[in-house]
Amino acid sequence: MFRRILIANRGEIAVRVIRACRELGIEPVAVYSDADAGALHVSLADRAVRIGPAPAVDSYLASDAVLAAARETGADAIHPGYGFLSESHDFAAACAAAGVAFIGPPADVIARMGSKIAARQLISQAGVPVVPGDTPSGQTDDAIAAAARRLGLPVLIKPSEGGGGIGMKRVREESALLPAIAQSRREAVAAFGDGTLYVERLIDRPRHVEIQVLADHHGHVIHLFERECSLQRRHQKIVEETPSPALTPGLRARMGDAAVAVARAARYLNAGTVEFLLEGTGERARFYFLEMNTRLQVEHPVTEQATGIDLVAAQIRIAAGEPLRWSQSDVKPRGHAIEVRVYAEDPLRDHFPQAGPILLYREPSMPGIRIDAGVAEGGGISVHYDPMIAKLIAWAETRDAARRRAIEALRAYPILGIRTNVPFLIRLLEHPRFAAGDLDTGFIDAERPAIIAGLDADPPPEVLAVAELNGVGGHFSRTVADPWQSLRGWRV
Amino acid sequence: MSDIKVTALGEGHYRVSDGERHQLAWAAGPPSARWVFFDGRVYVVSPGSSGEAASRHAAHDDMALASPMPATVAAVAVAPGQTVARGDVLIMLEAMKMELPIIAPRDGRVRSVACRPGELVQPGVPLVDLE
Repeated sequence: MFRRILIANRGEIAVRVIRACRELGIEPVAVYSDADAGALHVSLADRAVRIGPAPAVDSYLASDAVLAAARETGADAIHPGYGFLSESHDFAAACAAAGVAFIGPPADVIARMGSKIAARQLISQAGVPVVPGDTPSGQTDDAIAAAARRLGLPVLIKPSEGGGGIGMKRVREESALLPAIAQSRREAVAAFGDGTLYVERLIDRPRHVEIQVLADHHGHVIHLFERECSLQRRHQKIVEETPSPALTPGLRARMGDAAVAVARAARYLNAGTVEFLLEGTGERARFYFLEMNTRLQVEHPVTEQATGIDLVAAQIRIAAGEPLRWSQSDVKPRGHAIEVRVYAEDPLRDHFPQAGPILLYREPSMPGIRIDAGVAEGGGISVHYDPMIAKLIAWAETRDAARRRAIEALRAYPILGIRTNVPFLIRLLEHPRFAAGDLDTGFIDAERPAIIAGLDADPPPEVLAVAELNGVGGHFSRTVADPWQSLRGWRV
Repeated sequence: MSDIKVTALGEGHYRVSDGERHQLAWAAGPPSARWVFFDGRVYVVSPGSSGEAASRHAAHDDMALASPMPATVAAVAVAPGQTVARGDVLIMLEAMKMELPIIAPRDGRVRSVACRPGELVQPGVPLVDLE
């Protein structure tokens, strides 16, 4: 087992890994940028090394500085967390060359699964379905149209060299096909200098369902069931849960088997996640490989709460060469877990990120609630990094009980000094469609007006009364019909 | 007409009662912008607004008329002297590849504009002065 692990990350995930290290009797070493000198993860580690100025590219992404910190502190392993260097095959290779264990898969596996084309090829060879699509060799408009008809409308036409949604066209009717091809090609040439087009079957209202896998150095691969992550804003997940309300036992077993097949085909090691798009519900639903994330996921706690397996400890043990402690039949999820991501953002301004001091921060303490946070009262959210404040995970015997528990916990989770999405999350969890488990990746965009309605309402008299008393102390009462002016007269 | 009783429970933590029902609330911040968490909502309250209930944006014009983070001014949609209505886009900012509109928190007339297109602005500095 390792003696000392350097955590190449910040925020809640650094805190999470530090705690796992302590439980395993391993000394945690933190790294920090100038913006994080007073951060929670720095206080909790045994020692902390400054790795550079605030911009991530000069600190948390500076692989040389991170490796130098590992050498300087005698760390024998590095946990990359998620984001930053976690999916950098160059960094994983540099760790291997420096004789420091990278807690994750080997560099060549990260590289292979990081390339959408290579991954897609590997996955279809393994017999796992991918979204049907084609890059016709004859690239005439008629050839593209013929490919679209073979796949069957509706289809998505997109530049083969593309990105960022540029030139992407949804085609639902035959009459729109040729104009869309011409338009997509014009935009592709203008943006990428290459008019090669790719046609893909359009999956309408898909759900995002992913499977957690663990693979050790002894040939064992198991899955830890699914997480549904359909609720996204700006293509970023904000609510995740397990089990998925959409899966039947048969479909769940097939998707688990497919994820294990993907991991085996990739010669995967350590913890990873196989993401699928799910079309339809029930036994006849179809799933398609989307991508494999070669790292710990933000939403890993829902799997931990439902299976009782500590994924970070498992990652560390696998990297140290230990065999998995569970066979597939040992993994038995219980109850239902829902995670919500608490962000410093303004839900009324298109979820625009917020930065600033955290004047008051109190975590709710109640049965079945877990909070993974990277901040404390008196701290703040920096403009330099992702504005996630914490993750709140509710576990209960049923989905509805977990949902209600999450709402109650959020209502007792004051974070002041900076705008957060807490009121938005409460409304989201209360939404009848969420309560019914009727989810898809377009949910938040479609339901936003209903979710945010009234969130900018004027403060009720109770709020004005509390604001008046705050900073003054004592007790007071006042009469609702006579606002502000009367307040001072009533103070006791 | 009913009495609201507020009792301090701990630092920044309060019990609010209307005589029948108790609820919890939390508050922090300077008098000019007091943050309150109550009934699952967050409010920013400032006392100046002539006894009117302070709405989220009207409570603190400065906050509504400033960028929440360092940003580039993409466009200025108003000029001094112009009359604007609550909800009008005054300035369009750009940061982290996102557009962020600065929206009029209330009806009013533009006294002055404190930024120009292309300029990098800092958080907390009001970009428009509304009469």
